[in-house]
Amino acid sequence: MKFVSIITKSFKEQIRNYWVLLLTLSMGPFFLFIYDLMTESSPQQYKICVVNTDRGITVEDSFVNYGSDFQFFFKQKGNSMAAVTFSVCTAAGKEQGIEMVRNNKADILIIIDRLFSQTIEKKLANDHTNLPQVEFIGDLTSQKYLISAVWINEMINEYISKVTGSKRVVEVKETPLGESGAIGEFDLLVPGILIISLIMLMFTASIAFVSEVENKTIIRLKLSKLPPLAYFGGISVVQLLIGVLAVLLTLFTAILLGFGYSGSLPVMVLVAVLTSMSMIAFSLVVAAITKSANEVLVVGCFPMFLFMFFSGAAFPMHSNTLFTIAGYPITFQGLMSPSHAISALNKTLIMNMKVSDIMPEIISIIVLSIIYFGVGALIFKRRHLRTL
Amino acid sequence: MVKTNVPQIVAIQIHNLTRRFGELTAVNGLSLEIYRNEIFGLLGPNGAGKTTTINMICGLLPVSEGKITFPGNVRKDRRSFIGYCPQENIYYPKLTCLEQLLFMGQMYDQPFQLLKKRAFKLLHLLGLDDKTNVMAGNLSGGMKRRLNICLALIHDPEIVILDEPEAGLDPQSRMLVRDYIRSCKKEKTVILTTHNMDEADRITDRLAIIDHGKLLLLDTPQNLKKTMGEGDILEMLTEDVSESVLNDFIEKMKLFPIQLTRNGNILLFTHTDMINRVVEIKKLAEESGLKIEELKFRENTLEDVFIHLTGRSLRQ
Ligand SMILES: Nc1ncnc2c1ncn2[C@@H]1O[C@H](COP(=O)(O)OP(=O)(O)OP(=O)(O)O)[C@@H](O)[C@H]1O
Ligand SMILES: [Mg+2]
Repeated sequence: MKFVSIITKSFKEQIRNYWVLLLTLSMGPFFLFIYDLMTESSPQQYKICVVNTDRGITVEDSFVNYGSDFQFFFKQKGNSMAAVTFSVCTAAGKEQGIEMVRNNKADILIIIDRLFSQTIEKKLANDHTNLPQVEFIGDLTSQKYLISAVWINEMINEYISKVTGSKRVVEVKETPLGESGAIGEFDLLVPGILIISLIMLMFTASIAFVSEVENKTIIRLKLSKLPPLAYFGGISVVQLLIGVLAVLLTLFTAILLGFGYSGSLPVMVLVAVLTSMSMIAFSLVVAAITKSANEVLVVGCFPMFLFMFFSGAAFPMHSNTLFTIAGYPITFQGLMSPSHAISALNKTLIMNMKVSDIMPEIISIIVLSIIYFGVGALIFKRRHLRTL
Repeated sequence: MVKTNVPQIVAIQIHNLTRRFGELTAVNGLSLEIYRNEIFGLLGPNGAGKTTTINMICGLLPVSEGKITFPGNVRKDRRSFIGYCPQENIYYPKLTCLEQLLFMGQMYDQPFQLLKKRAFKLLHLLGLDDKTNVMAGNLSGGMKRRLNICLALIHDPEIVILDEPEAGLDPQSRMLVRDYIRSCKKEKTVILTTHNMDEADRITDRLAIIDHGKLLLLDTPQNLKKTMGEGDILEMLTEDVSESVLNDFIEKMKLFPIQLTRNGNILLFTHTDMINRVVEIKKLAEESGLKIEELKFRENTLEDVFIHLTGRSLRQ
């Protein structure tokens, strides 16, 4: 009964504070619009710039240039790949090519050696002293460079074995997992943004918990016989609704903007609900150590930035093992529920994995929620709800 | 307000109540009994320890020493039978008057239909009918005060504790509140704090005057006024004169059977037959070289009692 009263009261207050509510709800869609403006929504494109310095060779009165031949072969292959698209362009010289990589006009620059044709002809004549040379230039930390390099490497091997008729030692086959080959940069960002829209929930939830402390109405609640759990629970239910609404709005916006997902929506909603719960539980910790909305806004920034930047929501992260519990490694990231949520969403929405595949994430989120809630409730009770 | 000799049932028993905040002793060995169905006042200047005492009675503040018991009540948890109106207005700004009354009532497990009736009645009695559906944040200061009194009463508590109920109220609202508090007396015990003499005098049955956390006097307002001596008061405001002139005059006055209290530049004379003494006093003052700026004739008030007890005025 009291639980229901708290829910209705909290719901009314939340709706009447529509300004804060609107901001929270619009956060995810807003980020998506911005990202959509900034990124291409077409499938990932790998831009390859080729500089052909091959001088060619005259064999039996005909001039051959294996360099340009390779380029042609390479272009054809690039267009025939279904999952990943490569676009090939040429530059006049090395300098120009490097400039293009620097300006992000190309992800990788390949320079075909001037003796490319010559070495191939020698190889045909069974002279193996020199091998055909190709130089790769690019930003080694860029994921696009790496993927392009792997692929070009494979192309070169294929081409050489084709023209020289030599047997290939290894044949590499690349199979993208789930939809990971076909999805664009935008699609990649959506799971992170879905979680960011939930991280924002931390503010409304903390403020909802702490507002009673701030306007001192907590004194009235202390004097009535309101069980703390009813208080926490009632507010949490309303915040959970907001969380689910925020995720659905974000997802809806994403789909409108052409989000290509593969996994099941119910699983996504399940992950969102669990993540909302963990964020609400975490909010209780924030509310417990603050006394007003202003303090929440300051204190809340610490976990918000942690969650946004170091959980993988904004960009992928890796972290070291802090300690192990019963052989299970605990990382700093592992202590933040959003990182599990993002991992779970990536698995379902991009790699099309089933619920059973994301069980470890689901369990982690639940366990973390319980820990956050326990700590938050304990401190909140001691600091704000203590009676005689 | 006339005191009866019917044996009283003790509602709250306070024994040697003490509360310290670090070095400061805010309430110092307070012992008193509050009877059922009486309106009990705590009168004292700012910082006297009124709010601290009340917070301990409500159970919001632990006592440093002493004991508070509720002999008349079988229920163990005092929260169920105490209604509290804090000194500072506490309300939900984003809920309407009715909504928060209903909400708080539900927090006390009151049946909804009954609550609704009670809420409307309270709002009516305290003149907030037309504000029923207005958000509390949009009320005027005095209306918020009245809403706070409603909030203290919504669960129909046996003991009502009002910390300065009249603060910030206009004369009409004050009348409403007073009438309401008086009407409560029939079935409740009311404790209120104030530093308004008029309020204390008019509505309390018994009054405890406290200062520096100590009980100075406890009696009915009538009896308290008698401690100043029967009769009327002559208030004499003197021009700034030297201490010696004033003391000289006070010495001389001691020969007369007139009670004299000094509060800075003001001298208070009390006597049953004041009217016939005025000329005498005035003459003596002029002889002593005292320049009289103003001479006022009035009834004995609680303020006088307070000045008499503490040597300082309540209105600072
Ligand atoms: N939480 C606290 N911590 C430290 N000192 C306190 C605290 N609460 C009250 N005091 C001190 O105790 C003394 C009594 O305060 P209290 O609020 O009881 O006075 P009061 O009689 O209600 O005064 P007023 O008429 O101004 O409301 C004051 O000196 C005050 O500074
Ligand atoms: Mg006070």
